[in-house]
This record gives sequence, structure tokens and C-alpha cells, in this order.
Amino acid sequence: MSDEFRPPARFPHLLAKVNAFLLFALALVIAFGAIVAHKQGWFVKQTMIRIVTPDALGISKGMPVKLYGFTVGSVSDMQLVPGGVDVQLSIMNEHMARIPKGSKARFARESGVIGASVIEIVPGKPANGELAEGEQLDFERSRGISEIVEDFRRQAAPAFAELRNALSQVNRSGEDLSVILSALRAEAEQIPATHKSLQRLIRNADRATLQMNATLESVQRTSQTIERATPVLAGKLATTLDSIDGAVVQMRQTAAEAQEALRGVRPVLDRSESAVRDAGEVFSAAKRVWPLNDAFKEGGDATLPIDSFEAQGALRPAQQ
Amino acid sequence: MSRVQSRLRAVAIAAAAALCAGCAATPSEPLPPIGARAADANARGAARVRGGDFAGAARSYEEALALARSVEDADAIAANAINLSIVYQWLGRDGAARDALKVVLDDPKRPFPERRRMQAELRRAMLELASRNTSGAAEWLSRAERRCERLACDLAPALLNVKSQLALADNQPADAARLAQAAVDAARSRGAQTELANAARNLGRARLANGEAAQAASAFEQALAIDHALADPRKIHADLIELARASAAAGDREAARGYLERAQTVSHAAGDPRDAHELEVELHLR
Repeated sequence: MSDEFRPPARFPHLLAKVNAFLLFALALVIAFGAIVAHKQGWFVKQTMIRIVTPDALGISKGMPVKLYGFTVGSVSDMQLVPGGVDVQLSIMNEHMARIPKGSKARFARESGVIGASVIEIVPGKPANGELAEGEQLDFERSRGISEIVEDFRRQAAPAFAELRNALSQVNRSGEDLSVILSALRAEAEQIPATHKSLQRLIRNADRATLQMNATLESVQRTSQTIERATPVLAGKLATTLDSIDGAVVQMRQTAAEAQEALRGVRPVLDRSESAVRDAGEVFSAAKRVWPLNDAFKEGGDATLPIDSFEAQGALRPAQQ
Repeated sequence: MSRVQSRLRAVAIAAAAALCAGCAATPSEPLPPIGARAADANARGAARVRGGDFAGAARSYEEALALARSVEDADAIAANAINLSIVYQWLGRDGAARDALKVVLDDPKRPFPERRRMQAELRRAMLELASRNTSGAAEWLSRAERRCERLACDLAPALLNVKSQLALADNQPADAARLAQAAVDAARSRGAQTELANAARNLGRARLANGEAAQAASAFEQALAIDHALADPRKIHADLIELARASAAAGDREAARGYLERAQTVSHAAGDPRDAHELEVELHLR
């Protein structure tokens, strides 16, 4: 009888099979690890840049960093520093060329006010040059929903107040309408009395028409009387016209006499004109002599006349 | 003898009347010494302009301007600055003429009367147009026009005339004719004979540029008649030159040559001979 171990015939090559299984399992673990590392971007070279925010509310490690809505990195670390929180962003190197100096970062949500939080990068001008490792970007927080609601409330409050006023005015108008309706009702109640008054008025008009007929008859009688008296008046008018004619002749004679008189006055007027001219000369001389010259100082415009002819330029007055 | 006596009597009456008037009139407020000196210098300048001594006139207006500035008399400062710009332009010193106006135009804080500012702006527009700077002229003209609200001011005819000249310089004869006609109406309603003659001349130029030689000659004749009455040799010369152009355009070379000869006679007699050779060549009269 031998001491050597002999595996049972039911499990031939068991050791080789176990080793193969273990190797396969190890290969699976390594592949899984490689996939996870690939997904985590461990094989991708990344550049760290920083932002400093007064508070890190809503920001967490692993939060995606987006450029034009495309994920280009993630939040890799956060540290408290004096004045806020220093947030480190790991950006894939292949995208660094699109983030020049002067770019800004801001906190945003993917679908307006609701949705996943992200850090969004707003690129600066390409002329500024590429961003270097460890450089800091300016950061701005977007408005939160509470701030937006507060802003809306502040803007809507005056509109609501106006609406409230308008509604109260409508209510008051309703009160006025009821007053108007009651007044109309009172007026409607008085319509029968008005109807009776109108009937009385029509009867009075009939009577007035009868009286007017009588008046017209008397006017007719008067006109007949005037017709009879007209020839007498015409005779008297002719006499008056004759008198006026005589007066005109008399006036014509008077005018002729006045003309004669004026002819006599003409030399006197001529002499007066001469005297006035002389007086004018004396006045002009006196105005130039002290002490009268101050009293007669002329206050005309002190500027030379502005003549549009000068706009032609080429023609100047001749100097003497 | 009786004539002498009557003359003496008239003089005595007039003297008595003058004394009475002097006694009756309230004494005017005496001018301050500097103000009186400025007014005298201004009056001397005006007298020298009338005498044709423009250099002397410029000195007088410079003195008047300095005196007015020493007492901050805004109206007198502006008036003398404008006078200086006119006289400098006559002396051919266009740059100095512009600088003189800067006293008024570049000082918006000083309370110059609106009328003076408008006069200064119009003068500046004229200087720019004389230098063929039409855009500058248009700018200053629009400023003056804003002050001359609805063209109701006394400078409206001059303003319209400058606008007409500007339109003509910009090759817009139809606009120039319309503006010149407006200037004719404005000048006639105000009895401004000088500007009426200028407006008639501008109207003639616009019509000539529009190819209406006969109507242009009629307008120039009107301008010449007024300028004869005003007795201004420069303008008579200008009217005759324009009449020569109009006659040449109408094909009447003899008449054109006659007008040119008259123009030369006028300029020689006025002591300002101008060579008409180039114009003769331009009008194909040689």
C-alpha cells in the first residue's frame, strides 16, 4: 500500500481547473478596475484650476464642470480658506485650449431654476492666452429660486395694488349704478304727468295759432295803409334830395375857396419847411457840441451790418 | 437881405427850442469812463470802415474789444468781436476772423445776448462758406437757424441767402432757387435792400446753373438796379460779371463782352482792378 495521495477519479485535473478559474476571476477584477478607472478619467490627463466662492452651498465634490453644456471636468476638492471656500476643478487637458485667461465660472442649474447643479464656464477672449495650472477663475453665483421669487414679488406688488384699486373702483361703480337706476325709476314714474303737460301745451299752441291768424290780418291792414301813404312820402323825399343837391353845390363852392386859400398858404409852408431844415442843421450841430452831446448820444447797433455777400469771400471792398 | 434875416430868425428859434428841449428832457445816465471809451473806439472803427481804412478800423475794434472785456460788457464784447471778424475778412485774414468769433462762440457760460450769438454763428457760417468748407458752413448755419426761430428774426433774409449760396455750392440749383426766392420775400417784407439785392443775385445764379439764362439775366438786372441805388462797387461789379455769364450762356457774346468791359471799368474806378482775362477765356469771348 503506497502513501502518495491520489485524487479521486471523479475530479481529474482539479488543481488546473481551480487555477484557471482563479486566473479568470483575477482577469475579470482587473478589467472591472480598468473600466472604472477609465470611467473615472484616471487615464486622462487633467489640469487643476481654482475658484473661490464666499459659500459652497450647492457645490459638492464630483459636481460636473460644463463648457457650452458639455462636461469638461469636475469638482475635485474643496478647502476652507480665509474669505470663503477654495474649490478645485479638474479640467481635461484636451479642453483647456477652449478656456483662455479671463474666463469666468458660475454656479448654474441645467434646466433653469430646477435641475442638477453644475459649474458652468463662460470662456473669455482667446487672445488672452491659455490658462495655466492652478490659476484662479472669477466666480459668480447665479440667483437662487428664493431670490427670483423675491424679485418677482417686488415687481408684482405694485401691479397687484393697482388691480386692487381697480376692483374697488368697479365696486364703487356698482353702487353708483344702483343710484342711477333708482333715479331713472323715479323719472319713469313722472312720465304720465309729463304726458299730460304736453297735451296741455299742444292745446295752448292751437289757441296761439288762432291768435296769430288775427294778428296777420291786422298786419295786412297796416300794409294797405302804408301802400296808400307811399306816394306822399315819395314827394317829400324828392324835396329832400333837392335840398341835398343844393348843399353839395354849396360845398363845392366852399372847397374851391379852400383851394384858393391853400394856394395862398403854400409859400408859408415852403418857408416853414426851410425853417425846419435850418433847425435840423442847428440841432445836429448842437448835438455834437458839449454839453449836449452826452444827452443826444445815439443808441444804435454797434455792429457793422452782416451782409450775406461776404460769404462769397473772393470779393472784398477796395481799400482807399 | 430879408433871406438872411429870416435865416437868422429861424436859427434863433431853433436854438431856443433846443435849449427848452434840453431843460425839459430828463438827463441821461452818464456812461462810465471805460464804457464811453469803448463806445468811442467802436465809433472810430465804424468811421474808418466808412473811410475804407480797414487796418485802422481793425485797431479801433481791437481797442474797443479790450475795453469791453475789461468791464465784462457782454453785449459790447460780442459786437466788437463780430466787427473784428468782418474787418479781418476784408483784410484777407480769414484765420484771425474765425479767432475773433471764438470769443463769442467758444464761451457758452458768458451771458451773451441770443441775437449776438446768432450773428456770430451766421458770420462763422459765412467764413466757412467763403473758405469752401460747406459742411462746416452747414453746421454753423443750422445753429444760427435754430436761434432765428421760424426765420422770424431780422437776420432771416441773410440766413436764407447764405443757405441758398450753400445749396448752390453743393450743386443743388433747384434748392438754391427756392431758398433765394424765400430770401427775396423775407427781404422785401423787411425792407432790407442789401439782402434783397443779394437774394436777386443768388436767384439769378441758381437759375443760370439750372440752364435758365433769360430768367437769370432778369434777376441780375434787378440786383444791379438795387446795387446802383446802394452804390456798392463790389456788388455792381459782381452783378455785371453775372450778367456777362448769363449773356454768354444765352449765346449773346457781344452783350457779354459789353458787361465785362463795364465790370472792369467799375473795378478800376473803385481802385480795385480785377483781371477779367480768365473770365473772358471761360466765356469763350477771346
